[in-house]
Amino acid sequence: MKLSDRKTWNLRALLAAPTAFLLIFFFGPLLIMVVYSFLTPGIYGGVDWTFSHLNYGRILGWADTKYEKFDPVFLWIFLRSLRLAALTVLTCVLVSYPAAFWISRMPKARRNMAIFLVTLPFFVSLIVRLFAWVLILRPTGFLNQGLMGLGLTSEPLEFLYTDFAVIVGMTYVFIPFMFLPLYASIEKLDSSQIEASMDLGATRFQTFRKVVLPATLPGIIGGSVITFIPSLGNFIVPSVLGGAKVVMIGNLIEQQFLSARNWPFGSALAMLVMAAVLCLLLAQLKLARTTEERA
Amino acid sequence: MTKSPLLSAVFAVAPALVPAFAQAEGELNLYNWGDYINPAVLEKFTAETGIKVTLDTYGSNEEMLAKIQAGATGYDIVFPSVHMHDIMYQLGLLAETNIGAHPEFKNIDPQFIRAETDPEAKYCLPYAWGNVGIVYNKAEAGELKGWADFFALAESGKKVVVLDDLRETIGIGHIMNGTSVNSTDEAEVAAAAQYVVDNIEAVSAFSYDSIPLVTSGDVAAAHWYVGANIFVAENPDILGYVIPEEGATMYQEDICVLKSAPNYDNAVKFMEFYLKPEIAALNVEQQMNGTPNIPAQALIPSEIASNPTIYPAQDMLDKLQIFVDLGRDLQLYNSEWTRIKTAQ
Repeated sequence: MKLSDRKTWNLRALLAAPTAFLLIFFFGPLLIMVVYSFLTPGIYGGVDWTFSHLNYGRILGWADTKYEKFDPVFLWIFLRSLRLAALTVLTCVLVSYPAAFWISRMPKARRNMAIFLVTLPFFVSLIVRLFAWVLILRPTGFLNQGLMGLGLTSEPLEFLYTDFAVIVGMTYVFIPFMFLPLYASIEKLDSSQIEASMDLGATRFQTFRKVVLPATLPGIIGGSVITFIPSLGNFIVPSVLGGAKVVMIGNLIEQQFLSARNWPFGSALAMLVMAAVLCLLLAQLKLARTTEERA
Repeated sequence: MTKSPLLSAVFAVAPALVPAFAQAEGELNLYNWGDYINPAVLEKFTAETGIKVTLDTYGSNEEMLAKIQAGATGYDIVFPSVHMHDIMYQLGLLAETNIGAHPEFKNIDPQFIRAETDPEAKYCLPYAWGNVGIVYNKAEAGELKGWADFFALAESGKKVVVLDDLRETIGIGHIMNGTSVNSTDEAEVAAAAQYVVDNIEAVSAFSYDSIPLVTSGDVAAAHWYVGANIFVAENPDILGYVIPEEGATMYQEDICVLKSAPNYDNAVKFMEFYLKPEIAALNVEQQMNGTPNIPAQALIPSEIASNPTIYPAQDMLDKLQIFVDLGRDLQLYNSEWTRIKTAQ
C-alpha cells in the first residue's frame, strides 16, 4: 500500500465516527420530522400513519376541512418572525461591531478579560436572565423609574410584552454569537492597510467603506447567519418578554407539540423554518464565493 | 397545577438521566406538577417507611404525557388531571392498584371519583382539587367580583394577565356566553374565542408567572389558580383572590401508578399513606387547595376550611366546570387560540 493510500484510509477511519454520528443524530430526527409532516395527528399526540398533505395546506392555502383550515395567520406569524430576527441581527451588528473594534485595540491582557466578559452571561441560566429583564422593563421597573427620575417621561411607558422587549431580549441573548466572528475578522485587520489608505488621502469614512468594511465583511456575514438562525426559531424570549402575545413561529411550533397535540402540523411549520434557513445558507454560500472571487 | 412550563423545562433534562439507577429497593420516584405537594408529606413518608423519595416536576399534562409516551422509565407515580387520567388509561400506561378496595378508601368523597374510565378507583386515587379564578391587586383593581369587572379594568387603562392555556382562557369566553367549557360546537367555540378577542385590549400578556406583577401593581389582576391564596395570605393588604361570580373552571388531579413503575409496591404504599386524613390535611395546610378526603377536612386549619374561595358554598360549587378531554375536537380550540394570540 502506498503512503498516500494509507493516509486516505486513516482519514476515512477517523471521519467514520463523526459521519455516523451526524447521520444518526442529525439526519435521523430531521427525516422523522419530514415524514411526520405528511401524516395525520394522533388524538393523544403522536401520529396516525395515514398520509395527509393538509398540514401544508393549512399554511399555504388549500386546506378546508373542519379541523384543517387554511389561515393566512400562519404565514403572517412567519413573516413577523423573519422581521424580528432580522431586526435582532441588525441591532447585534450595531452593538458588536464598535465593541469588537475597541476590544481588538486593547492591550493583550485586558483584551482576553474583555472577551471573557462578553461570554460570561452563558454561565447563568437563560430563564433567570430573562426574568431579570422583566424586572428592568416592567412598568414599575428600573428603566421606567430611571426615565421618570430624569424627567424624560411623566408616566410609565409600555416596554414589557412588546416587540421592543423581544428584540432587546434576543439581542442581549445573541450578542456573543455576533461578537465572536466579528472579533475574529476585525482582529486580523492589517493596520498598515488603513495607514496606507489614510496616507493616500482617503477620508476616515472612505477608509472604512473601502478598506475596513470589505475586510471584515466575512465576519459580519458569518455572525449574521448564526445570529439569525436561532433568533428565527426562538420561543423562550417571546414567551417571557413578549408575554406570549408577541407570537413567533417557535411559539407556534411549541404549541402544536404540547398543548395542541398536533405533531404533524408542528412538523410542517418546522419544515417552513428549515426551508427559510436553507435558503439563507445557500445565499451566504453564494455571497462568500463571489467575495472570494473578487479578492 | 400551577407552574411555569418554562421553568420546569429547565429541569426537564435531568429526570431522563436519573431513572437508570433508581431501581434499588426502598425508593420511590414521583413525577408531579411543580410545587404541588407539601415537602413535609414526603419527609413524613420517608420517616415512616424508610423509602427514599425523589421528586421531578412538570408544567403541563401534555408535557408529562409526552415524556411518558416517549419512553421515560423510572417514574412510579404521576399526578394527571382527571381528563389525562382517562387518556393515560386508554393508552394503557396505568397500573391497576385496587386502591378503591382498601378499607381506608371510605375516607374519600365519592363525588371525586371523576374519571370515566376508572369508576371504581381500581387505578388511581383522587388527590386534590381547586378552582381557577382571579388574583387581584386591591389598590389597582378595587373589589373585583368577576370576569366582567376583570376585563372592564381596560376602561381605566389598567392591564390584566390571562393564563397561557388554550382551554382555560377560551373557557372564560364560554362561561360569559353561557356555553359549556367542553363545547365541541364550532360556532360556540368561535364565539367563546371572540369574547376574549373583543377584550384583548385589557390583556397585557398570556402567562403563568403573573403573581409578582400583580403584587407590584404592574398589572391590576391575573387569571390564576386557587393556590394564589398562599400569596394572598402573605400579603393580605395588597392581594385578593376571588372565584368569579359568573362561574369558573375547576381542576382535579389523581394519584396514578405507572405500568412501567420500577417500585410498584412502594408506589401503592404511598397511595395508602395518602389515604390517611392527617396526611391529606398536612398537604392542604401548605398547598391551600381542596382535598377529597372527608375526615381530613375536619383537621385542616380553620382559616383555610372557612375560606370560601378554597371551599366554596354549594351554589358556587355548582358553577364550577371541569374539563373533559375533547379528542380530535381540541383542534378547534387550537385554531382559535392562534387567532386570539395574534389579535392586536
